[in-house]
Amino acid sequence: MKKQRGLQVIGWLVVVMLVVGLQPLSNAVNYRRLVLGMKSPTPLTKMVDFDPTAVTGVIMGAALGGFQGVAASMLWMKMEELWDSGKGTWLECLNVMRTVTLLDPHWLEPWRITGWHLAYNLYVETKDPKLQAIYLAKGLDALKEGISWNPNTHELYLELAWTYFDRVRDYENATKWFRATLQFPHPEFVERMIAHAYERLPDLDRALDWYDYCLKRNPEDGTAKGATTTIRLRYLPAWRLMQAGKYDEAIRAIDRYLEVEPNGTIALHVKAHIYEQAGREREALDVWRLAARLSALDHQARRKANELAAKLGVTLLPSEQAPSYFLEQMEQPRRLEVPRRRER
Amino acid sequence: MQAIYRVAVATFHEAWRRRFLNAILVFAVLIIGSSWTLTYLQPGAELKLLIDIGLGSIRFFGMLIAVFLGVRLISDEIEKRTIHTILTKPVTRAQFLLGKFFGSLATVLSNIALMGIAFYVVFAYKGSKFMAQGSSEASASGTPGISTDFIYANIAKAIGLSFVEMTVLTAVSVMASTLFSWIIAAIFSFFVYFVGQAADFFKSLANPARGTGFGGQLVFNFIYGIIPHFEVFDMREAIIKGTYVGWDTLGMHVGLGLVYATLIMLVAFLAFMNREV
Repeated sequence: MKKQRGLQVIGWLVVVMLVVGLQPLSNAVNYRRLVLGMKSPTPLTKMVDFDPTAVTGVIMGAALGGFQGVAASMLWMKMEELWDSGKGTWLECLNVMRTVTLLDPHWLEPWRITGWHLAYNLYVETKDPKLQAIYLAKGLDALKEGISWNPNTHELYLELAWTYFDRVRDYENATKWFRATLQFPHPEFVERMIAHAYERLPDLDRALDWYDYCLKRNPEDGTAKGATTTIRLRYLPAWRLMQAGKYDEAIRAIDRYLEVEPNGTIALHVKAHIYEQAGREREALDVWRLAARLSALDHQARRKANELAAKLGVTLLPSEQAPSYFLEQMEQPRRLEVPRRRER
Repeated sequence: MQAIYRVAVATFHEAWRRRFLNAILVFAVLIIGSSWTLTYLQPGAELKLLIDIGLGSIRFFGMLIAVFLGVRLISDEIEKRTIHTILTKPVTRAQFLLGKFFGSLATVLSNIALMGIAFYVVFAYKGSKFMAQGSSEASASGTPGISTDFIYANIAKAIGLSFVEMTVLTAVSVMASTLFSWIIAAIFSFFVYFVGQAADFFKSLANPARGTGFGGQLVFNFIYGIIPHFEVFDMREAIIKGTYVGWDTLGMHVGLGLVYATLIMLVAFLAFMNREV
């Protein structure tokens, strides 16, 4: 009996020793998994801040016993079915997409498609500009949230940059996110997109630098070649005069091109920029307003017109106004108002 | 040694005669085989889906087999009183326990091997198509595309790690079987498995940056320390990313699994030593 009790004590001591000895091995395995990219960790900030989405994802993952990847894949197939068969509304598709991102936040495809779906499909589904702005901003938010989960790969940076470039036409943010893409292996066209964004901003020096880079990398790059020639012929003379402080001559130079193509977006942006540099804000505002009236999608011109109009105390026409709530929405977290079911 | 072997062989044969285990296996093979019919999704998504369904099914059904087999090993013998016959022969409790454990491990291994073969067949056919399709679309769009390096080797290693994971889970259910009735043991085993999948969460909860007090840190670190980290045996992400998993890394994972299993079986033995049968 005594011998058995002694064995028991030794046994439990061995158990405790094994538990303690296990920890370095367990830490080493976890460390190696992180270093080799065998697992994507839940970003610590999400846990420290107790991000509800992240915590829900972890708990659901535990409830599914590590099968959340399978569940996410199954839901994704369901989403494809809703999409292709046309049985589900696009909002239903959105709900399924968001659930997939919650279940498997390291899967990039659902983030990409969710951002695109919000910023493009749902945006055009509604005619209400307020709702459009919310969808657009939520699309951008989804992509940013995806980046916060997957900061070490280019895909979502690129998708976000493209949405800013193509949809929002916010070229400052577009250049920022396109440049963020460069940290990782990326498609060849990204450098060219940076140049395009700088061209539209306009920041012609930087645009030319990036086009030059593209041409040095590939002298046969026809797009870069054409864009460089266009910039040098159309806008650069005025730009250089502006840099030399000869603002009147710069305006005359860009006007010469605008006589040929009065609706040229980039030329109008350059002209407004020259006025701004010259401190002639009223005239800059007029040019931005003109650009805004010419293209409903020129958000860059609308934003600029809005800023200057607010500064100068000018009232804009409705067709020139950038929706102010749009700017607000871009800065604050937003909520989609779900219409309440009517009581019968 | 002979006694352990005999108990193990008897357990193996008995397990294969259990109909519910056969049903689980058939169902698993059907699910894995159904991914054969996967239709076109976005490039890259099909491959991920194929791997998720295949390896996910192996882990899921492997888990069911490991738990339902393990929890009935001891409790059934006690309920049917057959344990008296066995223990009166020159078979010690330790030999009996180890024989049962190894017998159920052999059953789990054979089941995982069958599911793994089914998955490999599907993958060899569908996976190669998806990979070719994905790489041609990626090169056309100029994007880096999905990495398919080491994919076949990684899948084999992932199946191997699933077996190590199930070894630990079998040990947990055998241990639970020595302590509780089979139904409670099953609940306990599932609970440990699910919590073990989110072991990292407890480490995050213990982080003082979250404002966790000293007591909370102790509790969460203790749970993190004792709970088997089942999520480390999941290799799907490495497969998708095309990460090379070297033998040394694999060895560390296997080593960790073996230490867990040894530890849990030791606890099972200590509990079984005191148990009146």
